[in-house]
Amino acid sequence: MAVPLISTVVVGHEFGPYEVTIPAERANAYAKAVGGDESPDYGDSLAPIMVVAAALTELIEDLGLFSGGLQTIHAGQEASWARPVKIGEKVDAIGRLAANSVRRGNHFATVSVSYKDSTGSEIGTSSTTIIVSGEDS
Amino acid sequence: MTTSNSQRNTGDILTGFERQITQDRVHAYAEASGDHNPIHLNEEYASTTQFGTRIAHGMLSLALVTEMLASEFPSTWHDGGKLKVRFSAPVFSGEIVTTYGEITAINEEDGQLIATCTIGCKTADGTDVVVGRATVRLE
Repeated sequence: MAVPLISTVVVGHEFGPYEVTIPAERANAYAKAVGGDESPDYGDSLAPIMVVAAALTELIEDLGLFSGGLQTIHAGQEASWARPVKIGEKVDAIGRLAANSVRRGNHFATVSVSYKDSTGSEIGTSSTTIIVSGEDS
Repeated sequence: MTTSNSQRNTGDILTGFERQITQDRVHAYAEASGDHNPIHLNEEYASTTQFGTRIAHGMLSLALVTEMLASEFPSTWHDGGKLKVRFSAPVFSGEIVTTYGEITAINEEDGQLIATCTIGCKTADGTDVVVGRATVRLE
């Protein structure tokens, strides 16, 4: 089994930038997943947490956490948003490893992400804490 | 019915809602997020994990909580809202969850009123699956 990046990466390592552009089909899938009678009308905008989730998927893949044998627990999530994001709007997500420790064979990692629009303005931030177990090393 | 932000008070309860986390919803969320981890989608694989069966994405439960916040604060949640949560238990495919929240403080910051809310999501047996807090600007 290849050694996942989570095993070797050091604090301060940058991930991305990931282009997170959510087309209408994925926005519709989100509405199908979470929607109900009382759901708000987003119009042509996205729920910001959807952008966070899309970037997180890229991060998890880069960290090698979809590798067989590893079990990843999403332990915590922070997010803040300065303005709505439109369906189809290009957003760049840049991640940075903020913490990565090993306790009793489990990795505890926190990745901070900054979201920027096409002008380079920061429109949101997030921080994800994960616990990874099942690694042989 | 949405309450005007100017009428908000400490102790106000946010209007939660129930949602059954069907496997169809989990599959739709996988399409939306791009997260096709088999622990969410493949029962054969999931049966070999510590959970023994498929679990929903934690972010799906959190998305429901943000739906509640967007409904409660439609003009400000997506424009300056913040949240911090921990995922305290898994949600299994088919379970019903309920979102909840309460305004615990209203403070003035830089000339704006900011509400702090406890937020969360729990299963039918009362197990918290998402627990945390959010801050949102009031008009």
